[in-house]
Amino acid sequence: MSNHMTEWLSAYLDGELRGSRLHQVEEHLAACEACRAELQSLQGLSAALHEVSAPEFTSSERFAAQVNLRLPHELPKASKRRVQEAGWWMIPVSLLAVWVLINTSAVVGDVISAAKELGLLNSVPAWLIPASSSGAIWSGTLGQLGILSGDGLEWAETTEAFTRNTLPQLTWQVSIALLYLGWIAIWWARQMRQEHGQLLEG
Amino acid sequence: MIRLSVISNKNKPIHVDIMAKTTSEKEGLAVAIVPEVNERELVSRAQGGDRDAFSELVRIHAQGVLNVIFRMCGDAQIAEDAAQETFIRVWSHLGSFRADASLRNWLYRIALNTATDMLRKEKRILPGAVEDFHLTDPGPGPEGLFLQEESIALVQQAIRALPDASRAVLVLREYEGLSYHEIADALDIPVGTVMSRLNYARRLLKEKLEGQMVPLMEAEHV
Repeated sequence: MSNHMTEWLSAYLDGELRGSRLHQVEEHLAACEACRAELQSLQGLSAALHEVSAPEFTSSERFAAQVNLRLPHELPKASKRRVQEAGWWMIPVSLLAVWVLINTSAVVGDVISAAKELGLLNSVPAWLIPASSSGAIWSGTLGQLGILSGDGLEWAETTEAFTRNTLPQLTWQVSIALLYLGWIAIWWARQMRQEHGQLLEG
Repeated sequence: MIRLSVISNKNKPIHVDIMAKTTSEKEGLAVAIVPEVNERELVSRAQGGDRDAFSELVRIHAQGVLNVIFRMCGDAQIAEDAAQETFIRVWSHLGSFRADASLRNWLYRIALNTATDMLRKEKRILPGAVEDFHLTDPGPGPEGLFLQEESIALVQQAIRALPDASRAVLVLREYEGLSYHEIADALDIPVGTVMSRLNYARRLLKEKLEGQMVPLMEAEHV
């Protein structure tokens, strides 16, 4: 008895079931007298509801004229929702733009450094070339003071180069990726609100 | 027979011959087709402040909105007032209406909200005292007719006794014939919620009506 399909009978009656769910309900109805009786009862209820007729309302033309007289003089309000919607779609566009900007500047920086090392920028005025950031400020100082040397100094230089160059890049990339994924998650949740009838299609 | 000329989405005219014998049938066809053809343009003009375009939209949707509100509140006078208030709200917020959305569904959402607000304000919603009615078997003749009228009153009262959220879904489905997706769009709720509210509304109505008006319900679906 627990296998009755009463929760789907309303949707079946309304012609809202599709695919395997429809097939499932039809098969069940053919075999289950209790569900057939329930369906018949729902049909009877629907027919009883339609017995209640609506009164004769004011004609559409007269009604429209009455509404027109009551309309405020101001024009319809500017679209707040449209602005919100535009703002919503600007989020991924902005994130993408920031990502492109960061990566482009990193690539341009690498190209300039490489060109400088190859001596291709010797004829270019110095003020046009960005000053190269030394990858070893504090590790170099520690080396000069004799606190670090050998493998320790090499390790400190590598660590400093990583924290000064690679880590900020990585942090930016991960932050942008997380924000973008967050936006996609919210967009997906909004889409799921409508469910697109999957529930009814079984 | 009536010949209708509409413009397809490829800007090619299409002529359709439809059988409509009476004037009211022809008017009904015109009302059903006009929104498809002109509605977006009318909305666009109304958003720019064109009152004539807005009046045309009101004319097209007046009866649907009146009917929805009447089904919600069961009072013709409240329905007329709330419908006017609905269209005034629509005018004020027309700027926020998205061109790709369904105007009818949006109107129904505002109409249902307005009806609910107005009912709460006026406190004129009748209690669902369905239990007060005790019907006997409706026989033929004047007595049977009277009992049928009483049954209709009973149905009206049972509908009014439903919770607002379930009643709104029931009204849009039973009286306006909206699909579950259209109801979901109009009320901004998931399709699954439409289904559960409709199940709940029908179950409540059946519980309230079944014992007392079995003859009417059985007679209808025979």
